[in-house]
Amino acid sequence: MTDFALTLSDISGCRLGPVSIALVPGEIAGLVGPAGAGKTRLLRVAAGVRRPNTGDVRVWGMSIADPAARLLIGYASDGAAFPHALTVQEVLLYYARLHCARSNGNGRSPRSVAREALEIAGLAAARELRVEALGRADLHRLNLAQAALGGRRVLLLDELLSGLDAFARRDLRGRIARLAAEGVAVLITSRDPAALERLAARVLVMRDGRIVRAGPLATLLAERVLEVILDAPPPEPPPGFRVTAAGIEAPLAGRTVEAALALCRAHRLPVRATRVRVKSLEEVVLETHDSQ
Amino acid sequence: MRFLRCAHAEFLLVFPRLTRTRLGISLTALGTTLVWLSAHALDPLTATLQAGALGAILGAAEIVGRGSDRAALTTALTHPTTALAVATGRWLAIVLPPAALTIVCAAAMGWHASAVAAGFAAAAAVGGCALALVLLLGNGAALALFLFMAVAGTVAPERLVGLAHPGVLRLTTASAIELGPALWHYRDIATGDVGAVLHAFAWTGLGILLASACIARRRARVSAGRR
Repeated sequence: MTDFALTLSDISGCRLGPVSIALVPGEIAGLVGPAGAGKTRLLRVAAGVRRPNTGDVRVWGMSIADPAARLLIGYASDGAAFPHALTVQEVLLYYARLHCARSNGNGRSPRSVAREALEIAGLAAARELRVEALGRADLHRLNLAQAALGGRRVLLLDELLSGLDAFARRDLRGRIARLAAEGVAVLITSRDPAALERLAARVLVMRDGRIVRAGPLATLLAERVLEVILDAPPPEPPPGFRVTAAGIEAPLAGRTVEAALALCRAHRLPVRATRVRVKSLEEVVLETHDSQ
Repeated sequence: MRFLRCAHAEFLLVFPRLTRTRLGISLTALGTTLVWLSAHALDPLTATLQAGALGAILGAAEIVGRGSDRAALTTALTHPTTALAVATGRWLAIVLPPAALTIVCAAAMGWHASAVAAGFAAAAAVGGCALALVLLLGNGAALALFLFMAVAGTVAPERLVGLAHPGVLRLTTASAIELGPALWHYRDIATGDVGAVLHAFAWTGLGILLASACIARRRARVSAGRR
């Protein structure tokens, strides 16, 4: 047995790598990067849908090729399709039957497995609706439900929070966090880093099939930025500053606010107000991407 | 046992489709038309064969023919099942409703057990072929197969190829009609022809295997990023 819920070791091939990731139970890790960075490819490899040229994927110490490992890992692909003529409940019952066929149900009936999945995703009220009548948020919930169904211990969620309104996004974030609190390890991708800022404990930035930066979210967002609001736009910003809509801004990067303001005064800039804020994940990701 | 459970889970998807898609109404219309035709022009054996074969094609079109249904196969394969179990279950879902239609039609036209057996064989063989074709080419292939079975499939190849000029085209046409699932083959099941039974079995197995390969190929294409 292992302490890790999911390990990807030296994954290469499929325009990836080498990539290594390890997730502990209950951890939520976010994969961010631009389109084509390799997030979906990495998730497909982790789900056992694609085979890498080299490397090893293990779920709770079992190879992903082991049928028992497939019972522990749930995959919600980006834009997953479901049979349109069926209701939400029938779709989940269908997947629950497949799950119970392999696991012998662990003493549970497909109906109870499907009911639990409905509750996990908050779809109980929509269970009699046909898939073709579902809105985008409910389709994402159904995608989460089918991935989490049957007590999966590792979830691979591809763009599950993308393209949703703030309310649906908050609801799904809460549901994913609740699953993680029960010990489920979650690897979630997003094109939009802001979507993961209030969810992921660890962030991995991908570019060209490789992880170019990784760390706990708190560490990545530790850097502070000084925003200076000016009466008039500067002809030229002081060294280290960049021009924004309201004035200029610069990462503090070790220096004090006073030192940065002294620099502004030395350049005779008409400072109206200042504010210190933390960097957003989006800024961290963009800087990481641009610096590579 | 697991394989059978997975196939059974696939088969159960037919019940909601019978009432919510055009499948139920199409099969009813087909049965009514064939019973009416048998009372006026068609012999009961041909009508029974048509019920099995054409019903199976309608089933394939409604069960795997829609784009959303074919796309959903990829999601199903992220669960603990196999492409072969999916194909077998879908084949059962395609074949059992026309098999029931065959029984109903045979009962309405004057019961002949041998005609019902031939209808079952036609449903099984044509269902396998239709499943693979529809998975590969979509509902356009279902329409082509439906027209072929309704018109040309009842005629023996000797009578058809005589219409074409000698040469490669004639040979190809003759071979296709000779080898493919066609109703003139399965008429002989009613008279106890073992060769016709084997032909139906072969097309059933081949159809399921081809469908399984199509599903696996679709999954590989989607996972490689080519939808």
